[in-house]
Amino acid sequence: MTTPEPAAAAPKPVAPKYVPPEPVLNRQNGRLIEDRFSTWPTEVFKKRWSRPGYQRGAGMLVAIFVGLGLTGGLIGELAKRADGFYALLGSFAAAQGLPPLALDAGWIAIKVLIVLHIVLINGLWSIWWERKISAHIQSRVGPTYAGSPKGFNFHGWAQTAIDGIKLLLKEDVTPAAADKWVHALAPGLVIAPCIIAFAPVLFGDGLAAASLDIGTLYIFAFAGISVIGIVMAGWASGNKYSLLGGLRGAAQIVSYELPRGFSVVPILMFAGSLDLQVISNAQAGYWHGIIPRWFIFYPVVGQLAFVIFLISSVAETNRTPFDIPEAESELVSGFHTEYSGMKWSIFFLAEYAYVLLGSFLLATFFLGGGASPINALPFTWIPSWLWMLGKAMLMMFVFLWIRWTLPRFRVDQLMDFTWKFLLPWSFVNIAVAGLYLAYWLK
Amino acid sequence: MTNDEIFAKIQEKFPKIEKAAVQVKNYLTVRLASKDDLMAFAQCLKDSSFDMLETVTATDLLGPVDMKGYIRQQNFNPLLPEGATPQIEAAATPGYPYRPVMDLLWVFFSIKERARVFVRLEVPRENVSVPSLTPLFKSADWQERETFDLLGVRYEGHPNLVKILTPDFTQGHPLRKDYAHIKDRFDE
Amino acid sequence: MSNATLKSDQLFINLGPQHPSTHGVLRIGLTINGEVIVKAVPDIGYLHRGTEKLAEVRNYHHCVVLTDRWDYVSAMPNNLVFCLAAEKLMGVAATPRANALRVIMCEMNRVASHLLFFGTYGIDLGAYTPFLYAFREREMVLDLFEMLCGARLTYNYIRLGGVMVDASSEWLKRTMEFVEYFKPRLDEYDTLLTYNPIFMARTQGVGVVTAREAVDWALSGPNLRGSGVDHDVRRADPYCGYENYEFDVPLGKTGSCWDRYFCRVQEMRQSIRIIEQAIEKLPDGPFMASGVAKIPKPAPGEAYAHVEGSRGDLGIYLASDGGISPFRLHVHAPSFINLAMLQEKLVGMKVSDVIALLGSIDIVLGEVDR
Repeated sequence: MTTPEPAAAAPKPVAPKYVPPEPVLNRQNGRLIEDRFSTWPTEVFKKRWSRPGYQRGAGMLVAIFVGLGLTGGLIGELAKRADGFYALLGSFAAAQGLPPLALDAGWIAIKVLIVLHIVLINGLWSIWWERKISAHIQSRVGPTYAGSPKGFNFHGWAQTAIDGIKLLLKEDVTPAAADKWVHALAPGLVIAPCIIAFAPVLFGDGLAAASLDIGTLYIFAFAGISVIGIVMAGWASGNKYSLLGGLRGAAQIVSYELPRGFSVVPILMFAGSLDLQVISNAQAGYWHGIIPRWFIFYPVVGQLAFVIFLISSVAETNRTPFDIPEAESELVSGFHTEYSGMKWSIFFLAEYAYVLLGSFLLATFFLGGGASPINALPFTWIPSWLWMLGKAMLMMFVFLWIRWTLPRFRVDQLMDFTWKFLLPWSFVNIAVAGLYLAYWLK
Repeated sequence: MTNDEIFAKIQEKFPKIEKAAVQVKNYLTVRLASKDDLMAFAQCLKDSSFDMLETVTATDLLGPVDMKGYIRQQNFNPLLPEGATPQIEAAATPGYPYRPVMDLLWVFFSIKERARVFVRLEVPRENVSVPSLTPLFKSADWQERETFDLLGVRYEGHPNLVKILTPDFTQGHPLRKDYAHIKDRFDE
Repeated sequence: MSNATLKSDQLFINLGPQHPSTHGVLRIGLTINGEVIVKAVPDIGYLHRGTEKLAEVRNYHHCVVLTDRWDYVSAMPNNLVFCLAAEKLMGVAATPRANALRVIMCEMNRVASHLLFFGTYGIDLGAYTPFLYAFREREMVLDLFEMLCGARLTYNYIRLGGVMVDASSEWLKRTMEFVEYFKPRLDEYDTLLTYNPIFMARTQGVGVVTAREAVDWALSGPNLRGSGVDHDVRRADPYCGYENYEFDVPLGKTGSCWDRYFCRVQEMRQSIRIIEQAIEKLPDGPFMASGVAKIPKPAPGEAYAHVEGSRGDLGIYLASDGGISPFRLHVHAPSFINLAMLQEKLVGMKVSDVIALLGSIDIVLGEVDR
C-alpha cells in the first residue's frame, strides 16, 4: 500500500523575461516598418501589373484613347467629304422647306460643338497629364488611386473627372465686398474669347472649323480679349491682392501680345498669307529629300522666331515663369483669389485652352502642321491630324516642363524682358527674314 | 584676449567703470554706476571695436515669481485632492540678495576681438527709465521694445516704444516677478 | 489729362498673418504705391507663449522641453544651448561621447533646417520643384532622428549632462549611408536652383545688407556671413569640441539675398563634413555624465552660453538664485533680431522682393515670438 506522495509543490510560475521584439527596419531609409507603409505607393506598386484593377484601369484608358482617336479619325476622314454632307443637308433642308439660313445655322452648330468638345476634353486630359508630369519631375508619383478603390486605378486616370465633380459640388462663394455681376461675368469673359479663337485653328490638313484668310490675326485678336476678363475678376473681387493681380495681368498680357505678333511676321512673309492652311502647306516637302521644309529649320530666323513665340505664348497663358498675375507666394492667388468652385475651374479651363491653342499654333507655324517629319513610307501614311496632334502634345509637354522647372520673374524684370529683349530681337528677325526673301527664297 | 586685458583696455578709456560683483561665468561683466553714464559708455565701447549690441534685457530681482501671474490653476494635476500643495512652487532661497531693483543688462560684442562685455546697471524697479541705445545701435530697436513689453523698462528716446510680443489687451509686464494675471476678454 | 485730374492713392495691404509665404504667423502692414513699398510695419507676437516666464517655475530638466518649442525647425541646438548654460551653472561637463553625439545631431539638424529653407525659398520665388527634392532628403534626416530618439520635430534629445540615448552602430552606419547619399544631391540643387538665371536675377542685388549694416543690426548666422563678416560661433567660441573638427565658414560677398542663400547651401556641405569627421572620431564611453541631480539646484550665479544654431547665434542668459528653477532665462533669439531689419529694409522695394527678402532671412516664428 502506498500512500500517495504529497504532490510536489507546483513550481512557482516564473514570468518569462521580456525580450523586446527585434525592430524591422526598412532597407531604404531606416524607418521602422509599420502598417501604414503597406499603403505607401512605391510599396504597393512593386508588382503593379499583377493587380487586376490596374489592368482594368489601363484597359479603360486605352479604350478612351482608342475611342477618342477613332472619333477624331472619323471626323477627320468625314471632313474630306464635308462638301458632300453640306449638299446632302442642303437637299434635306430644301425638301423640308427650311430657309437656307437654318441650314447654315445647323452646319455651324455642328462645327461649334466639335470645337467646343476639343477645348473641354483638352481640359480633362491635360490636367491629368500635367499632374503626372509635374509629379515625375518632382520625384513623386502623382495621382495614383483615382478611378475606383478596387476597380480601375491605372495611374489615377479618373483624377480630373473626380476633381471636376468636387469642384461642381463646392460652394460658390461670392465675397460681400464683390461687385456681384462683374464677379460672375469675369470667368465667362475669360473663356469665351478663347473658345472663339479656336475657330480657324488647324487640326490637320483642311480640318478647321472656319477657314479664314485672316486666321492668324483673328486668333491673336480674340486671344487678347481675355485680359478684360482678368482685369474684371481682379477688380470685382473686392480684394486688394486680386486688384494687384488683375493689374499685373493686364500689363503683362498686353506687353507680350507685341513680341508674339511680331515673332510670326517672318513666317507670314515666307508663307505669304495669314491663312493657317496656307502656312501649313508652305512647309510641305523636304530639302534634299531629308530635312523637312519646316519654318523652324530655316536657319537663325526660324529658331529665333520659335523661341520668341514660345516664350510669349507661355507668358500669355500666365504660367510659371510669367505667372505674376497669380503669384501664389506673393498675391495669394492673384486675380482668382476670391473664386471658388466652378467659376474658379473655368479660369483653369481657359488656361489649359490657351496652352492647347499655343501648342497648335506652334505646330502649325513652325513644325510643319500635318506634315510628316520623316520622308519615308510608314510615316507618310499616318494621317495629318495625328501628326498635328502629336506635335501639339509635344509642345504642350514643353509648356509643362517650363512650368515645373523655372522660378518666377519679378514684374519689372518681366517687362524688361519683353520690351528690351524679345521685341527688339523680333524686329531684327523680320529684317533678316526680308534679306532671306530678297536673296535666298526669290 | 583675456577678460582682464579687455577690462584694462576699457578702463583706460572709461575710468569710471568697475567690475561687477557677480560675474557671468567666463565673460567679462562690468557694472555702471549710474544711468547717466550709459550713453557715454556705449559710445566708448562702440569706438573701441565693440560695435555689435547683441542683447538688451533686464532681470527683476524682487524675489521668486508670483505664482498668480504664471498659471491660472496651480493644481493642474486632476488627481490631486482639493487644497493640496501646489505642484509647482517657486520658493525663495535663503541668503540670496533679493531686492527691489531692476538689473538691466546689455551685451556688447566685438567681432574683431571675438570678445563679449556684459554691462549691468541696477536701478529701482518702480518707473524704470533709462536712455535708449537706438541712436547708436539699430539692433536696440526691437530688443528694447521687447524688454519694455515684458519687464516695463522705459527707454527714453526710443522712436517707437510700443508693445511687441504680448497682445494689446494684456495688462502688466509678465516677466516682472510681482506680475499677477488680470482677467481679460478670454477669461470666463 | 493734367496731373490735377489724375488722383493716385497709396494702398494698404496686410501681408499675413495668414499668407502663403510669411512662414508662419507674421503680419506685415505694407503701404504700397503701385508696386513699390512706402512703409512696412512688421507685427509679431501671434505665437508668443511666454517660455521665459514658464521656465521660472519649472525645474531645469523640464525647461529642456520648453526649448524645443522655440525654433521647431531645428530643435537640437535649442536643447543644446540650454543644456550648455545649465551645465555651466551646475559645474557639470558632458562626456566626450555625448559631445560628439551633440555635434552630430546639431549638424544634422542644420542640414534639415537648411533643406527646409532651400525648398521654401524656391516656392517663395515660384519654383515648386526644389521643395519636393529638399523634402525627400529632409525626410531621411528626420527618419534618422526618429530612429534614435523617437521624435521627428521636438526631440528633447540633448539632456543636462549628456544625451538621452546612445547611438547604436546600426544608426551610425545609416547616418554614413545618408551622408554618402546626400553629397551628390547638393550638386543637383545647384543645377536646379542656385545657378538658375531667373533665380539669380530675382535674388542678386536684392535686399542688400552691407557688412556695416549687418553688424549694426546685430545679425547673426548666414545673414551675417552673407554680408561677408567672418563670424561663426563654432569658430569664435567653440563648444562641444568643435575646435577638433575641420570645416570652412562659407562667406558671401555682397550681402544680397542670393549670398545668404548660397551661404546656407554651402553650410550644408560643411555640416556633412563635420558629421563625417565626428562619426569617424566618435569616442567610446558613457553618453551621460554622472553627478547630474534629479532636481538640480545650482548655486546662485549667472551663465551665458551660445551656439551656432541653424538661424544664427542662439544664446541663453541664465541666472540662478539657488532654487530648483531658473531665476531668469533670457533667449538671444537670432530670428527675432534678424527680423528687426525688415521694417527699414523693405522700404523702396517691390512687393515681389518682400518675399525674396523675408525668405532669405529665414525666420521661424516660434523663435521670433518665443
